[in-house]
Amino acid sequence: MTRASPQLRDFLLVYNRMTEFCFRHCVCNLNYRLLTGREESCLDSCAARLVRANHRLMGAYVGLMPALLQRRAAEHEAAAGPAGLPDSPEPAPGPAEPSPAAPAAGT
Amino acid sequence: MDPLRAQQLAAELEVEMMADMYNRMTQACHRKCVPPYYKESELSKGECVCLDRCVAKYLEVHERMGKKLTELSLQDEELLKRMQQGTGTA
Repeated sequence: MTRASPQLRDFLLVYNRMTEFCFRHCVCNLNYRLLTGREESCLDSCAARLVRANHRLMGAYVGLMPALLQRRAAEHEAAAGPAGLPDSPEPAPGPAEPSPAAPAAGT
Repeated sequence: MDPLRAQQLAAELEVEMMADMYNRMTQACHRKCVPPYYKESELSKGECVCLDRCVAKYLEVHERMGKKLTELSLQDEELLKRMQQGTGTA
């Protein structure tokens, strides 16, 4: 059974969060039932700002994440390398290769 | 995907999102209209009227944000198309 697309779900959740956020910050005057002009322009600006901020954040994230992941992978390799050497003369086995130490570790 | 199944999923998603919106609206209006003074259990007339107006405004904000988001995403799509056309012809 498949669910509705996760992107659509995320988009709708963001929509709800934006509504709550902008309502909280822009709607302060509850003396009237209708939105005032000031509230309307505040809401329009709020929506546009949130969308643009999100785009910028995404750009920054996409720019920084690969370097961070690479650094993390290099740190992992550096930590695993010297630890693997004294245990066995062979290099550390990959996930597909059976390891002689695995049955002992499993029990 | 089967169109009937797609329709059913869309309806389920809509119900879920409406429930989420309702919960957020409840929280927001409670924060705005009901001060945290618990001497009396009854809501005052002012608080009741505030809640009515708050709900009306929240629903209007929800509709307005939906239109604005659609407008902004259409603008983004047009910009992307123009950029792609520009790189294609260059």
